[in-house]
Amino acid sequence: MNPPVSVTTRRLHSPVFPVSMLVLVLLPLLLLPLAAVFIFAFRGGAVAFLAALKAPDAQFALRFSIVMAFATAAVNAVIGTFAAYVLSKYSFRGKRPLNIVVNLPVAIPTVVVGTSLLLLWGPIGLLGRLLEPLGLQPMFTPAGVLLAHLFVTFPYMLGAVKPLLDELETTYEEAAYTIGASRWQTFWHVILPALRGGIFSGTLLTFAHSLGEFGATVMVSGNLRLRTQTAPLYIFAQFEAGNIAGANAVAAVLAVLSFVIFFFLLRYAVRPTRAS
Amino acid sequence: MSIVLANVTKRYGSQTVVKNVSLEIGEGGLFVLLGASGSGKSTVLRMIAGLTTCDEGRILIKGRDVTHLAPQPRGTGLVFQNYSIFRHMTVAENIEFGLKIRKVASVQRAKRRDELLELVGLTGYGDRYPHQISGGQQQRVALARALAYEPSVLLLDEPLGALDVKIRAQLRRSLKEIQRRLRVTTLLVTHDQEEAYELADRIGVMDRGTLLEVGVPEELYHRPRTLYVASFLGGGTVLAGRVANGLAHFGPLSLPIPAEVPHEEGASAELLFRPEHVILSSDPPASNGPVLGKGRVVEQTFSGAARRLRLHLPHLPSTRQVSPAVAFGEQGIVIETSIPASAPAPADEPWVSLRNWAILGQAPPRLLVIDTGSGPLTSLHTASALAGPMRASVIVLGYARGDAPEDFRDTVAHRAQSAELNEAEVHIGTSDLPIQIATESANTLFDFIILSGNPGAAKAGLKPDVVSFLEGADTPVIVVAAEAPKRFERILICTRAGEPGKNDIRIGGRLARHLGAQVTLLHIQQPELGEQPLARRHLEMASATLSGLEVQNTIRTYPDPSPAEAILREAAKHDLIVVGGHGPEVQSLFSRDDITLQVLMRVPCPVLVVPAE
Amino acid sequence: MVFKRKALLRRVRALAPILFLGVLLLYGLWPWLPLPGRPPQPQTVVFYGFSILGEVMNKGIFPAFQKEWAARTGQRVEFISSFSGSGTVRNQLIMGVPAHLALLSLELDAQQLAQARVIPPESWRKLPHQGVVNRTPFVILVRQGNTRGVRDFADLTRPGVGLVHPDPLTSGGANWAIVAEYGAGTRQNGGRPEAGRQLLAGIWANVVAQAGSARAGRTQFENGFGDALITYEQELLYDLGRGKLKGEIIYPHSTIQSEHTLVVVGRNVGPRDRQVVEAFRDFLWSEQAQKIFVEYGYRSVDEGLNATNPHFGKISDLFSIADFGGWTKAKKEIVDGIWKKQVLAKLKR
Repeated sequence: MNPPVSVTTRRLHSPVFPVSMLVLVLLPLLLLPLAAVFIFAFRGGAVAFLAALKAPDAQFALRFSIVMAFATAAVNAVIGTFAAYVLSKYSFRGKRPLNIVVNLPVAIPTVVVGTSLLLLWGPIGLLGRLLEPLGLQPMFTPAGVLLAHLFVTFPYMLGAVKPLLDELETTYEEAAYTIGASRWQTFWHVILPALRGGIFSGTLLTFAHSLGEFGATVMVSGNLRLRTQTAPLYIFAQFEAGNIAGANAVAAVLAVLSFVIFFFLLRYAVRPTRAS
Repeated sequence: MSIVLANVTKRYGSQTVVKNVSLEIGEGGLFVLLGASGSGKSTVLRMIAGLTTCDEGRILIKGRDVTHLAPQPRGTGLVFQNYSIFRHMTVAENIEFGLKIRKVASVQRAKRRDELLELVGLTGYGDRYPHQISGGQQQRVALARALAYEPSVLLLDEPLGALDVKIRAQLRRSLKEIQRRLRVTTLLVTHDQEEAYELADRIGVMDRGTLLEVGVPEELYHRPRTLYVASFLGGGTVLAGRVANGLAHFGPLSLPIPAEVPHEEGASAELLFRPEHVILSSDPPASNGPVLGKGRVVEQTFSGAARRLRLHLPHLPSTRQVSPAVAFGEQGIVIETSIPASAPAPADEPWVSLRNWAILGQAPPRLLVIDTGSGPLTSLHTASALAGPMRASVIVLGYARGDAPEDFRDTVAHRAQSAELNEAEVHIGTSDLPIQIATESANTLFDFIILSGNPGAAKAGLKPDVVSFLEGADTPVIVVAAEAPKRFERILICTRAGEPGKNDIRIGGRLARHLGAQVTLLHIQQPELGEQPLARRHLEMASATLSGLEVQNTIRTYPDPSPAEAILREAAKHDLIVVGGHGPEVQSLFSRDDITLQVLMRVPCPVLVVPAE
Repeated sequence: MVFKRKALLRRVRALAPILFLGVLLLYGLWPWLPLPGRPPQPQTVVFYGFSILGEVMNKGIFPAFQKEWAARTGQRVEFISSFSGSGTVRNQLIMGVPAHLALLSLELDAQQLAQARVIPPESWRKLPHQGVVNRTPFVILVRQGNTRGVRDFADLTRPGVGLVHPDPLTSGGANWAIVAEYGAGTRQNGGRPEAGRQLLAGIWANVVAQAGSARAGRTQFENGFGDALITYEQELLYDLGRGKLKGEIIYPHSTIQSEHTLVVVGRNVGPRDRQVVEAFRDFLWSEQAQKIFVEYGYRSVDEGLNATNPHFGKISDLFSIADFGGWTKAKKEIVDGIWKKQVLAKLKR
């Protein structure tokens, strides 16, 4: 005699229901809006799409954003790794507050970051006014945008590299020292290679965040077309001016870029220590 | 001499982890530093490598003073317990790393690398990565890497600790072979005495920062000089007797004492014999080896190639057993021995004699006396009264709250002399009392600590820092109040029925033995509970233990609603009261009706507070 | 063989992210790579202007100059521009936006810039026509058919007439309008300040909507707010010329002519840009540029050229800010003194 299997028991074991519930939630939240971007972008057909992308402003915005993202990732790779090393390997007074400070940028709204940079480096800023006579003015220039992006993305590299350093047993370095390697040689030959995975995922994260950065960028860039207008700023400006197709074309490109980056990030994060 | 350590000391805060270690390792020798975890052996190794700084002393490698040198130029090769080979490099790259740093040309590097791969038995593994080889193989790579650049000394920090037993044996053999072949001076640190026996030319045993003994394995095994080394290097039995007329007496046995073992007339001496040194025979032994008596086999255990036996022997007069630990309630002697499994079963009551033995040096008891530099000399007198019969060494800790006056040391020394503690060491301390005592205890293991309670103890109660110290002490503490008896003849042990009471008996009993005093075992019953068979049994066992120590004792037990009052009444007739402490978990000393506290406050004679087990 | 292929594939897959990033980087840097046969980067001029200037600059002035510059030097020049209320432009310049030139609605903003040390004081006075590039009188725009029967400023004080007026804080046009209203009041009543104040109070009692700039005010009006709007003549003429004006232009008897001041922000002009910026500056007063201004409805500083636009209305009594002692005095006395402290306070706005 087979014991009766109730409908509810069957449901508990099959994934169909919970999965469909999840998809139902994600649809209006994530999936449909993203689809809308692509639909609107291709409204006028592929030709219009390409034309919108070819506009000089659009091209500049995309290239500028990409170059900024690379620059941010490169600079923060060095600074972030250095910070992770100091915070991991040394003990000193005030270590814990310093640990909190380096993670602050994640907590501060990006607009506030932008404002604070302006108030420091802008022509009326605390330090900016000292630079005036020297003819140096970092705000409203690509340098200012870079500063803002570095600030905002700083914790990401740190967060990707520091755990790897913490995990590395001290005897790892000590072995190198007894073999005769100096501090620098040890860092370069022994520690850095062990951090490869962390630096890679940190770079990708930084890159993605820089690509999409809006709040701080809108404050410090002055939104000058062909000078400091990043892709997100371009999208916003075009939308305001009524050029929806143009805005969406660039938005679609940004979306695709982000997908690809996160695809690589996930793949690489799953197998961090493959010999490659 | 390849490695020389001279008076090397290392401190972490108030803790000294390496105390005054001096040793020398000759060219091409394999020295094993043996010790339990926390003994400081790894720290010594790391100081030689340069990874840990040295607070005092000097370190020389091949005649060069490297004490303050960074690890890089020292030219040592280090193998860690967790291998620590570079995971992102191949085996070959790992081995070549040291040569690459030294800018050796790649052709020579390759040649040397192949040599080393062959040496450690990993030819052909050059292109593998660490995660592709086993633990044992990784350790071999670590070894090859350390040897690649021909270091002056090879240092190994518990290299086999992370490996399986079988691999360990294999690697041990390889290690020995390699060391022999290369004749590189090697220092190996371990806690495994098997390893030490197999590998060492010489062994050094460390305990709590001190290098106890150094010698060839056989010497240390058969003729150790201290109890710690004896028990660390193997099993066996240790009996304690007395020195008289230049011989060590253990009941009817009289054994000569070797010249290098310090001995003093009347002091105690310890006899050590290993399980394999025991001879069992059904007929009385005819040889002139020492005979212990007729024993009774109480336990037999199968152990592979051998059979382990446990025998009980009747008590030997004027002798007590140190090891194996005597069970509570035992009077006689317990002996462990082993016979080959194939040997015939021994008789039920065989004769026990020895074919080999050793006499150990005995450390005398050590006392710590706290003196404030002023007030009555009661605690000093007590110390003096105890030190005499115990032949104890005394350290006087002059303790001043806050600033000590210039001549404080002299004052304290003078006071010690007036109490006839002429050979006592005087130390001075000004931090909190518990911290001060902890510092002293870190350097010396004390048998008893003597301090004063509040002189006005009868009325005002004890000083709070004394009370808090008693809460957490793990050494027996003698609290002296008003009087310091000149002689201790009668000791009152207030025992609680049950487990906590055992320590009181042991320590109180030992003290009584030293002093030649009589003991009254006092147990106050709680009237509501009535006659308790368990308590009765405990008292009988306590009495037996004391008799085993050759201490005269009487039992007194009766019901009384107020135990404190009863104790105080009995105390009047005695010179020393022994009570149990409570241990750090229970903060009940602060409770007003705690018995120990009441006794401490009101009893006129000194009180020995024994820490809980 | 299969082995090798698998290993190769694995290699490629491992390198894929690096390849992708490399391609991306190349794309990003492409225009800046110093490859041979590359056309050089064009020069840029950064121009900020007050709100209504947008069309004339983007569609008329900039293209004309680009052509002329290309013909003269063979180089390309690009314009980066931003248009908003004159006050907003002033604030942005103070914040430090890297503008090379800015055309402001009123000289007051230039003076405030000098005070904030953005530009040297009175530096614009050295330019042609004291820095004034073009002018336009202030007129009234009413709905088609003029159902309210508005003939002059005084009619705006009648109850029930709703007025859209820009905010003097950010809009240059609003300041002009206030002086226009006050001025008309005094001049038509024998110069009595009391009359001016009364006219101001009456008009402002009817303001139903305020905007950030003249252009924004215009947008509001077009969206249905109010019955009348006081604004630049040019704004309305431009649409009239294209037949797109929705409403009627009423010319008051007495009104002010606004004069728009150009400032050159020397500290933002690098040595590389100097030549083209100065050329552009001079270009603004050239006949060609002034003709374009007239075409778009601005009155030129060269009176002779004004005849070419038939739509310029006739105003009986056209006064200027000089008649009220210049902007510093006028701002203090009229805008702050009378309008803000008396009129606005009374209206409890």
